[in-house]
Amino acid sequence: MSEAATAHRIGEFVAVISSSAGLQVTSGGTDAYAVDGMLPDVVVTPVSIEQLQACLSEAGTRGLAVIPFGGGAHMGLGNTPAAYDVALALGRHDRIVAHEPADLTVTVEAGVRLDTLQAALAQHGQFLPLDAAGDGRATVGGVLAANAQGALRHVFGTARDWVIGIKVVQADGTLVKSGGRVVKNVAGYDMGKLYVGSLGTLGVIAEVTFKLAPLPAAEATVVAACPSPHAAATLLFAAHDAGLALHAAELLSPGAAQVVLGDARWSALFRVAGGARAVERTLRELRALAAGMQATCATREPASVMRAWHDAFAPRALSLRVSVLPSAVPGAIEEIESALGGASAWLSSTVSAGLIRARVSPGDDAHGLALVDTVRALAARCDGALVVEAASPSVKREMDVFGPTRTDFAIMQRLKDELDRRRTLAPGRFAGRL
Amino acid sequence: MTRAHERHRTEDPAGAPAERPRGVVTREVVRALERALGRERVISTPEELIAYEFDGTIERGTPQAVVFPESTEQVSAAVRVAHRFGVPVIPRGAGTGLSGGAIAAVGGVIVALTRMKRVLEIDAVNRIAVVEPGVVNLDLSRAVAPCGLYYAPDPSSQRACTIGGNVAENAGGPHCLAMGTTTNHVLGLELVLADGEVVQVGGRSRDVAGYDLTGAFVGSEGTLAIATKIVVRLSRIPEATRTLLAIFDRIDDASNAVSAIIAAGIVPSAMEMMDRNIIRAVEPVLHCGYPLDAEAVLLIEVDGLEEGTIEEADAVDAICRRHAAREVRLAVAAADRELLWSGRKSSISALGRLYPNYYVLDGVVPRTRLPDVLRQVYAIAERYGFAVANVFHAGDGNLHPNLLFDEREPGVTAKVLEAGAEIMRLCVDAGGTITGEHGVGLEKRDFIAWLFSEDDLRAMSRLKAAFHAGEDYNPCKAFPTHKGCGEVTQAQVQRTAAAIGTDIYV
Repeated sequence: MSEAATAHRIGEFVAVISSSAGLQVTSGGTDAYAVDGMLPDVVVTPVSIEQLQACLSEAGTRGLAVIPFGGGAHMGLGNTPAAYDVALALGRHDRIVAHEPADLTVTVEAGVRLDTLQAALAQHGQFLPLDAAGDGRATVGGVLAANAQGALRHVFGTARDWVIGIKVVQADGTLVKSGGRVVKNVAGYDMGKLYVGSLGTLGVIAEVTFKLAPLPAAEATVVAACPSPHAAATLLFAAHDAGLALHAAELLSPGAAQVVLGDARWSALFRVAGGARAVERTLRELRALAAGMQATCATREPASVMRAWHDAFAPRALSLRVSVLPSAVPGAIEEIESALGGASAWLSSTVSAGLIRARVSPGDDAHGLALVDTVRALAARCDGALVVEAASPSVKREMDVFGPTRTDFAIMQRLKDELDRRRTLAPGRFAGRL
Repeated sequence: MTRAHERHRTEDPAGAPAERPRGVVTREVVRALERALGRERVISTPEELIAYEFDGTIERGTPQAVVFPESTEQVSAAVRVAHRFGVPVIPRGAGTGLSGGAIAAVGGVIVALTRMKRVLEIDAVNRIAVVEPGVVNLDLSRAVAPCGLYYAPDPSSQRACTIGGNVAENAGGPHCLAMGTTTNHVLGLELVLADGEVVQVGGRSRDVAGYDLTGAFVGSEGTLAIATKIVVRLSRIPEATRTLLAIFDRIDDASNAVSAIIAAGIVPSAMEMMDRNIIRAVEPVLHCGYPLDAEAVLLIEVDGLEEGTIEEADAVDAICRRHAAREVRLAVAAADRELLWSGRKSSISALGRLYPNYYVLDGVVPRTRLPDVLRQVYAIAERYGFAVANVFHAGDGNLHPNLLFDEREPGVTAKVLEAGAEIMRLCVDAGGTITGEHGVGLEKRDFIAWLFSEDDLRAMSRLKAAFHAGEDYNPCKAFPTHKGCGEVTQAQVQRTAAAIGTDIYV
């Protein structure tokens, strides 16, 4: 589409939807809604599902490209957009629709901030066991669309394990749902699994129902400084095998440990949580295990340590996520840390999930590209894979951040064709540039 | 973008697509299957086919052939033959399903996965196993037990049901309260698509890039593809387990105790409730100690660290007593725990002592709605003149009312189905769903419209189209369709696969 034609269609689009009461339409000229250095022409902020539907429907019929926005915390994930005309800001679609403490379920609109939700749930002694590394901007919809994961991954899996119902607005404005409000449900296809992690390319998440977990009765944070990544990993595996009461168990590289703990050594970071007796037993065992490996063990204040960890591992500069088998983590994390410059890189691994997060400031784009190539090759040698979670626009333009596609890519392509034939939703952003 | 697959889509009622007519399994098709797989892997005579007309329900359908592939290549070859001739393919595991999922509703070729039963790989350090679809659920846990591991989803039919079937139905079981259902334990799959193509989805980690086709496949009831390899996540056997039996004189007290336990921040690994009719069926046979005059018993299990289980068991005991439990018993030793569980596990098969036939229902309601929904279940049963025995996963609101009847009574089967439909409607109206673990299958397709709009269903049909699985791929399952699905034989005697043993199905 020529620039003039696009401008004309955008003008028409704005004219049509502006008449809707309360719907905010602003110029997209600021960086607030930039994606990989691309700015949208307009930002629309619907206040209801009907407005959200109208935005998509009107944009779709005019061939415009729409990218949904939550808090913007994880917009670095995804390939460079093929086009970007409209930012769809979901921040005002932010009610907690229903919290049923006795059922351990909650239904929220996608624009609710994750920390706002957690605060509301905490009043009833409950929480959604998902934490996304980063600042408090992240919305529920954004965390789901990015399948953002934090340290709680160790025990609680991913968002796909906690979503029990979802409402999505499709590319043509149709509102569809799957799942429901009960924790066991096998009626219909589990479409929610597809929307989570889809970066909005199959539909815009509008409302979600989650199952919840009770907040633990007791908590503590224990840190063990170790002589090597292998020692730290051995400690982490032993704790995992003993079934200790842990919510998180991370392996930190020296650079990360310096920032998070003030101690630049390979470290095991344990977030102990559970019933009082279980926590006591876990603390005793961790000290014993650490002592047995000549590792020094100390308790730390939980909230400040986890805050520092989340700040450190917010998507920034060059952010990489490597996935290997847990048994490969010690060797892989050592090699990757070295390749990324040693102590100037920050790495943290959820060892039981085989997940290695890395944050590094690469200097210039050539260096950044070289680092990505090196780490991708390292991951492949460990039978693993790399996803680039954030990088400078010029680095991202050179690659598919998700890595090579596989034998099931044709199904994914067909799914995208079926659900967004016109490529209205975040075109080019997903794996294989879908 | 190719539109070749469009003809496979389930369209708006106003405009059915121009599809080719459903193929019929002729001798030519059978010969092609025999050439592709070898004659020893194909049966097609009426006498041989009878066993494959049934599953765990009263549904019945007659296939024209059943094939027994022993490898992915053979599955693919069979599917390609069926695809070439346009005949229905019906994947089948052990045939213990409770929604008619493995029934050849309009004939066709059943692809039985039971000979593909190898545990291909156990990686204890990484807590992963790779299995073929015919591996029996409990056999998998037994195979990994020497490593201190087990496979968590434990449907009550686990001595017979297969992992492939579990994947198709997103099977649950008593321990899914804390551990989740099958979908939380499947990392990757090898799939044979409707046209015979073989693809891999997911992998050995939860972090494979792309759309989560693995997650979307679990629970798709065999309507998308056939899983020929399954990568599962294994769990550590807990250090300690404690099982409590709480005895109540009023069902409401038992339900309230369940809610109070959850509200106290305790998530037991299992919380099962049995009512008076179940107790009266099992106790005289199994002597597990369920008092015959109790209105309800709660079987609650906690596991984890020894100290944690002691703390939780104490708390559960106190809560039950606060809710008028007349007695709470604790079992710690394995033999004692198994005795308590034996009653629960034999609940359904023991019903045969009370009545010649029973109809197992599967519905879910929010936990907090259990007391009033149960009251209404009893009322509905009474109105229809049926005794009802309730056993259910109280912790997650998944109820299994069992309507008891004698199918020789004229017109009774139709009444049973009607009462069942009313109970399903009751669950939906209470904010729940029509199936927690058995699947929609043949049985509940007509109830899907209570939950999902045409738009919702159309979106789901897009997934089927993306898999190139047309309406003739395992037809008449999970969703309403527009092509004829034949008459469900309502007068058929319920088959309960009694040869499998006393541990059955819910």
